[in-house]
Amino acid sequence: MRILVVDDTEAVLLLISRFVEALGHVAIPARDGGEAIRLWRECQPDLVLMDMMMPVVSGAEAAATIKAEAGETWVPIVFVTGIGEESRLAEAIELGADDYINKPVNLRVLEAKLKAFQRTLALNRKVREQSAKLADYYARAEEEKRVVQHLMEQMVNAERLSDAQLEYWLSPAESLSGDMIAAARTPGQVLHLMLADGIGHGLTAALNVLPLTQPFYSMTEKGYTVPDILIEMSKKVRQVLPVGRFVAVVLIAIDEANGCIEVWNGGMPTVLIVGDSGVVRHRWASRHLPLGITETHDVDTSTERFYFDAPGTVVAFSDGLIEARNRDGQPFGLLKLQRILQLPASRRLTGIQTGLDEHLQQTAHHDDISLVMGHFGSRLRGGGKAQARQLTAAELGELFVSAEPSWQYGLQLGAAELRYLNTVPFMMSFVNEIEVLMPHQSDVFLILTELFSNALDHGLLKLDTDLKQRPGGRELYLSARKDGLSRLASGRIEIELAGLRCHNQHMLKIHVRDSGAGFDWRGHAAPPGESGQGTGLALVRALASVLVFGDTGNDVVAYYLLDAPPTPRGELS
Amino acid sequence: MSPTVQIEGDVGRVVLSGQFDFSAHREFRQVCETLIADPVVKEVLVDFQNVNYLDSSALGMLLLLKEKIGAVNKSLALVNCRDTVKQVLEIACFGKIFTIR
Repeated sequence: MRILVVDDTEAVLLLISRFVEALGHVAIPARDGGEAIRLWRECQPDLVLMDMMMPVVSGAEAAATIKAEAGETWVPIVFVTGIGEESRLAEAIELGADDYINKPVNLRVLEAKLKAFQRTLALNRKVREQSAKLADYYARAEEEKRVVQHLMEQMVNAERLSDAQLEYWLSPAESLSGDMIAAARTPGQVLHLMLADGIGHGLTAALNVLPLTQPFYSMTEKGYTVPDILIEMSKKVRQVLPVGRFVAVVLIAIDEANGCIEVWNGGMPTVLIVGDSGVVRHRWASRHLPLGITETHDVDTSTERFYFDAPGTVVAFSDGLIEARNRDGQPFGLLKLQRILQLPASRRLTGIQTGLDEHLQQTAHHDDISLVMGHFGSRLRGGGKAQARQLTAAELGELFVSAEPSWQYGLQLGAAELRYLNTVPFMMSFVNEIEVLMPHQSDVFLILTELFSNALDHGLLKLDTDLKQRPGGRELYLSARKDGLSRLASGRIEIELAGLRCHNQHMLKIHVRDSGAGFDWRGHAAPPGESGQGTGLALVRALASVLVFGDTGNDVVAYYLLDAPPTPRGELS
Repeated sequence: MSPTVQIEGDVGRVVLSGQFDFSAHREFRQVCETLIADPVVKEVLVDFQNVNYLDSSALGMLLLLKEKIGAVNKSLALVNCRDTVKQVLEIACFGKIFTIR
């Protein structure tokens, strides 16, 4: 140790200094309190051995100054006191001195005391180092948490959750949530909802669910369907998560135009459909393993559909909600939740929140809680249809006779490609990049989808539209379509998009031709029935300004006016 | 919860009790590793008889165990799964990849 030895008696100073040096320490001698303070500042000794009674600055005053300046660093101060100084000694110890030794100094006792202080100093330093490390670690953890929280918020994209059709609630057990809710719409206005729950909670759980966001948003934007998105999600999760980690996921697609709700549930609690009256009308129990457990090619992407004919709400939640336990260990439970869901739709969310508060009575919930409710069927509550502006005779003349395309994008697909390619989402990648088309991508998607499925379903696969009208017919139709597609051996579909200018207006030409035998288009373009089904070509007629069929019906051209504002969605759906 | 091990013939049984969650992680792994390393044991049973609750991190531990057991060509079954345990395993559809008895 480096020891500051302070005494105004030269003989004592010399004696103690020599002794300290003989013990292997370094002695720094000072002759009064003032010099002691100066040398303390200069040399920062480990310990101070100091006389009480000294000229200029007394030992007690010097000790107080040194203690004040040392702050959090512990510098033991040991007073060397004569007989009769006890009362001042007590004062000095109160001011912060650590010990004393009587004069005449017993060198054996001094040696023992120095050893004791050396041990305590070593311990003290270790504790300080560790607590500094801990503070560093804590600061770093907080910073990491802040960054991840920011990342999560950005990737989860809260603004897209502010959809009139949607209500949600997320209550993490820690500052980071391992539950995630995301929502996005396809260009065709199908609302996709995702509810995901990673293992555990906090940072690692949050990291587990992050890989899901990118495929969810980007593929929904291009109009991919739930099974396609699932495959990509599984690939991402398999790619980034270690063995033993997985993510339970519910994917929901609410398709207002077709009156259909499609759900895939892998490891989440049962998803419910609740009617306006509060009655549970349908349930989707978990039918699949969570993502990340099996190889992607073993993931069963089959979904279950529910066709609605009355307004209602899809309700999905994480197990954190029904398993939230109060002080007595009682879970909140599904029954209580279903009882609250019988409230009028507008009061359900607050009902669940207050219901859970009452249940927990200030105990914290230990797992993340998330809940999402998607309302559907507003179309059935009323609403008309908008119709694109029809063109004048002069405009039509120019369009058909002299309009030259400023750009053109064509595609021809054979049977092999049609079997596996997702043609319309694939083309949407192009549409989304063209400036004049951007504001209209939703309309363009709908027209493309209708004309393409018309060419494929009726032109090449020769499916019977009437099939859809029968009870359970829509499921039959879909499976017949899947079946036919997998066996499609010949045929081709050509699609061409072109940008035209006509009477100073931008127009989009969409031309679809198939190698099939055609169909009687005159009979199919009639206004849709009340059921809202068979809307296909009628929908295209409403969106496009002109729809022209070739004679046999296997060749169709739609012209869409790009200068008009896009069709307001509320009126259309 | 402290898992105990019973070996009868070539069957090693891990008996769990109470809450099976992340706090059981270290002990569960140790117990399982001794069974995996034991050349006599050909089948490992995880016994849930006395378990009243398991969470998603427990499911993760089971997946890890399955992976390790598969690597040494032994078999694995989850036995005596009742009530909450059964429910949690059902929701996760673990019946598709585990033998549950």
